[in-house]
Amino acid sequence: MTAYRLASGGLIDRSAPLDFRFDGRNLTGFSGDTLASALLANDQLLVGRSFKYHRPRGIVTAGPSEPNALVTIGKGADSDPNTKATVAELYSGLDAHSQNRFPSLKYDFGAVNGLLSPFLGAGFYYKTFMWPAAFWEKVYEPIIRKAAGLGRAVLERDPQAYEKCWAHCDLLVIGSGPTGLMAALTAGRAGLRVILADEDFRLGGSLLGETARVNDASAQDFTETVLAELRSLPNVTMMPRTTVFGWYDDNVFGAVERVQKHVALPQAKLPVERLWRIAAKRALLATGAEERPLVFGGNDRPGVIMAGAMRTYANRFGVAAGKSVAIFTNGSAGYRTAADLAAHGVEIAAIIDSRAEGADVAPDGVRVIRSASVIDTKGRQRVCGAVVERSGFEQTIACDAIAMSGGWNPVIHLACQRGAKAIWSEDLKTFLAPDVGNGLVVAGAAAGRYTLAGCLKDGAEKAVVIAADLGFSTVSHTAPAVEGEIDPSFTALWYSPGAKAKAFVDFQNDVHVKDIGLALREGFGHVEHAKRYTTNGMATDQGKLSGINATGLLAAMQGISPADVGTTTFRPFYTPVAFGALAGTSRDEHAAPVRKSPLHGWAQRNGAVFVDSGLWFRPAYFSRGGEKTWRESTDREVRNIRENAGLCDVSTLGKIEVFGPDAAEFLNRLYCNPFLKLPVGKARYGLMLREDGMVYDDGTTSRLSHEHFVMTTTTALAGGVMSHMEYCAQVHWPDLKVRFCSSTDQWAQMAIAGPKARLVLQALVEDDISDAAFPFLAAGAVTLRGGLKARLFRISFSGELAYELAVPAGLGEAVADAVMEEGMAHGICAYGLEALNVLRIEKGHVTHAEFAGRVTPDDAGFGRMVSAQKPDFIGKRLSTRYGLTAADRMQMVGLKPVEPDQHIRAGAHLLREGAKPSTLNDQGYVSSACFSPTLGHDIALAFLKSGRERYGERVVVWDKLAGAEVVAEICNPVFVDPGNTKLNS
Amino acid sequence: MASLIHCPHCGVRPKEEFSIRGDASLIRPDPEASDEAWNDYVHIRSNPRGRYREHWQHVAGCRRWLVVERDTFTHEVFAVTDAASSAREAGR
Amino acid sequence: MSRTYISRHPLDDLLPLEPGIRAVDHLDVPRSSAIVSVMAMDGEEASVTAGLAASGDVSIRFTGPGEWLAVSQSETPESLHRNLSLLLAETAYFVDQSDGRVVFRLSGPNVRRILAKGIATDLHPAIFEVGTSSNVLCGHISINLARTGENEFELIVMRSFAIALFDDLKVMGREFDLSAGFSVRG
Ligand SMILES: [Zn+2]
Repeated sequence: MTAYRLASGGLIDRSAPLDFRFDGRNLTGFSGDTLASALLANDQLLVGRSFKYHRPRGIVTAGPSEPNALVTIGKGADSDPNTKATVAELYSGLDAHSQNRFPSLKYDFGAVNGLLSPFLGAGFYYKTFMWPAAFWEKVYEPIIRKAAGLGRAVLERDPQAYEKCWAHCDLLVIGSGPTGLMAALTAGRAGLRVILADEDFRLGGSLLGETARVNDASAQDFTETVLAELRSLPNVTMMPRTTVFGWYDDNVFGAVERVQKHVALPQAKLPVERLWRIAAKRALLATGAEERPLVFGGNDRPGVIMAGAMRTYANRFGVAAGKSVAIFTNGSAGYRTAADLAAHGVEIAAIIDSRAEGADVAPDGVRVIRSASVIDTKGRQRVCGAVVERSGFEQTIACDAIAMSGGWNPVIHLACQRGAKAIWSEDLKTFLAPDVGNGLVVAGAAAGRYTLAGCLKDGAEKAVVIAADLGFSTVSHTAPAVEGEIDPSFTALWYSPGAKAKAFVDFQNDVHVKDIGLALREGFGHVEHAKRYTTNGMATDQGKLSGINATGLLAAMQGISPADVGTTTFRPFYTPVAFGALAGTSRDEHAAPVRKSPLHGWAQRNGAVFVDSGLWFRPAYFSRGGEKTWRESTDREVRNIRENAGLCDVSTLGKIEVFGPDAAEFLNRLYCNPFLKLPVGKARYGLMLREDGMVYDDGTTSRLSHEHFVMTTTTALAGGVMSHMEYCAQVHWPDLKVRFCSSTDQWAQMAIAGPKARLVLQALVEDDISDAAFPFLAAGAVTLRGGLKARLFRISFSGELAYELAVPAGLGEAVADAVMEEGMAHGICAYGLEALNVLRIEKGHVTHAEFAGRVTPDDAGFGRMVSAQKPDFIGKRLSTRYGLTAADRMQMVGLKPVEPDQHIRAGAHLLREGAKPSTLNDQGYVSSACFSPTLGHDIALAFLKSGRERYGERVVVWDKLAGAEVVAEICNPVFVDPGNTKLNS
Repeated sequence: MASLIHCPHCGVRPKEEFSIRGDASLIRPDPEASDEAWNDYVHIRSNPRGRYREHWQHVAGCRRWLVVERDTFTHEVFAVTDAASSAREAGR
Repeated sequence: MSRTYISRHPLDDLLPLEPGIRAVDHLDVPRSSAIVSVMAMDGEEASVTAGLAASGDVSIRFTGPGEWLAVSQSETPESLHRNLSLLLAETAYFVDQSDGRVVFRLSGPNVRRILAKGIATDLHPAIFEVGTSSNVLCGHISINLARTGENEFELIVMRSFAIALFDDLKVMGREFDLSAGFSVRG
């Protein structure tokens, strides 16, 4: 046993032990622990295997930059892979598993990769797997996939709930360390709406592990005092467990809150995570600085830990990482760790200082070796000694842990996420955030102000400026006094020379110094190339520890400044975010809203089988007892409508009320056919073009009064047509006196079609609807028996005598029931989209299957509708261009198979008999096809070159998907009642 | 693309409430205008880096068409105005 | 033969017939409301605004420039339509939307936190004041949102989306045990 729980101290609740499991072992920690601190307290240093060489790896940090201690928490569908043990809050029953090892963490077969390591250098995959190309899919990729990957994504559905939420504030403070706390306090006191977010479950940041005293109190007591005041301010919202992961346009920040990732028994009513979008007038980045690892031989052995992390484990969690710790440092921070560990009774084996001199004081009796470096480490699955080199002499220092401190990297990721590049500071030997305007201000250690007093002061001062900027006045108060200030000085050391073992830069992706050198030699020295070539910084930690060292190494190897190398690009997300959180509640039935027709219940009661139609649910057909297929139901419905009558829900068609003295003029410009002289009380079929001359949408428009029209659109384009009309009215013709609004949802609309339609309707309608009184294309208000006001239109999609009846939506079901009741004696049936489709194909009527965006009115047989007289309408000018009037355009025709039992499917192409299928020989395509119960065989609508001149000819219907070729006869597309006698009856 | 758009009628709104049509500088030519003018209007689009005037519709809000003047590179939004007012000013 | 037609509310099968337990955060659904789209004629925007302000018992919801929804719980659709036509004769057009829109009233101490799960607009009372109304996106659905009190909002949605919005609101309110029911008087 080497790592152990200290007898006292730390912000853990020793009266609240928590049982948890790691790789099946039962262990105990305390409330306030992270999984990592609890593992350390149980001397579980080895937590994973590295990605490429499967080397044993241990905990390195105490925070979100952790490259090694990635575990899977939970099991099955509930498991979370790649969870950083260093930020996972311990809870009772937590069940964690190490990753990337087989069969066990201690004995891992993949470690043979380590023996092959000479062959696994940078660019290995690129060089090795280049050819043959066919090998990629069959050989290389499966092998790489099997070997690669840390945690495994599970295939089961995530049972957890997530949600998304918006927040608004004057000031978002990111990070609750000394800088963030003082900024939040200053802004909160001034009355700003403040959000203080921190990824930790406990607010306070570095103060939680700090031994310096603030205002004559311990740093922890000072923190509690500030937090208590913040809690008392109603304008301050504190968000622990919340990682601000992205900075987006207009100062909107993305954050993820771990609402109940840390609890043994989640509440069903709460999401496990909540994704926040925070619109902040100003934001203060108080994310502190990350300690820089040292790159030395054997630096990846379990037990080599960041000095600051070791200090945090000791001070905050009451855990010693070892009994005898060697410290390798290039600055003062190493001495501070030594002092704190010594104070906890931990033996300091030696301080190995890369610098020749320094004023730092080592704890009493501790040996300091100056101008020295660690060149190798001893031990297998944990360190047992450091090989130290000084002036050419080597010595091995026995120890059971090594603390390393290589200086500081400000955490500036968010400030660089919108394109601005980090700037090298020669003074601080690190990259600082550029000036990104006053929306996001960087403060404290994140701005290179590393002292505690400096952080406290900077946070407060910058909040004062922000408050004043937003028009708030602040009360001045003295900056907190610090006793036992820290010294952040260091001398940059990118690489500890003389390494006798691999010196790792990126622990997670197993990139070591030689890989970087190889990348440079092979011409991939640009920082972005080196990243891809070596994969440095491409693992789940995105190079939080390794990025700056890689830059430093690339610079040192070329003898240039890191300023000339630069950093790789910072992008959201700062740390990985679960897809579940990004989706929020938008899944399953909440992924897209379902629109329900006012006749939905009526359709359900009548046995409807529904189909998705955009956002709508529409009846596809109405199944009756004994009917086994949709075709049986559909054929029955079609026959019944041709013989008796049927009722179909058409409420989903777009309905737009158009008003104004210029309403007729507006419609006249919108449609390609004339509307100025449409009489009151009449409906007219209208065809709307796009400006390029192709058909956009169609529908009927009725004139209810001189200045009031109601137009209909197709279901699919109701929204699009509305926007198009708004564009025309507002942008093209703002001076037209026209107003319109949608009334789609106000009306339940039903088509009543069939030779008995009038008989059925007349029983319900008080007005005279005889053919004389209410002829084809009549439209207007009617009164239903009982006094209900309704709208009636005599229009027909089926080719039968047909009406569309519109009643207020709430009464739709009652009226539909009444129609069915009155129609029972006449054999009425409910019919759905399938029958509607068959009826209209039989009649040669078009839908968006025909108007697919490449079809002109003339192509579809509406050439004569297009007004030549109108001075202008949308699409007029380009309708006349040569390509749109060419004689060999594909024109709509009907097709019927020569052998009546053969089938034609939509999407099939048309060929001359004997012609080979090729683009050159393509004669056209089938747009719609169905079995016609009326004719007893398949029929189709198709677009065929010069089709209207070719009635009677034969073509081959070539359906590659179905592997079928059918000879069909070209015919008039109106298969049923071409003389319109039924329609006008 | 911006995250938030200040609709002149509705105030600050998320981009999700809007739909984008494209270049707002195009003016629908006279029906008698040349083939070139119509071809340019219907088919030809530039893809500028920098300042750009676009038609956006506040579909989930007031449903007005707006002219959003923005920088396609920095994503800065300089002005949002009602498209009908712009159209009237342009003398359409 | 005379007939009577019984009107259905889209949530008829989803809400209990009897009012149940009412939580502090509650979604109240009037069974019927009179709602009329009002569109000012060209150049009459100001006079219609003034006329609507004087319309007494009618709530006016802003939907866009020169366009409003007039909402009343006491009038019938016909009487509201008629009264507005008299009040604003020759200055506005009207479309009855009483069956085309569904009203939800959300009230309670956590309403802002509930709405923030779907609506991006800042609903701080100093910014979205009592009496303010506007069309906003709630999740995937466009609604008209009005603040009727410090902790009271009214949501008006297109009828075909009413069930989807109701389902969304239930999820948004789950954290606060949001209750829902038809209005007792409506
Ligand atoms: Zn708007």
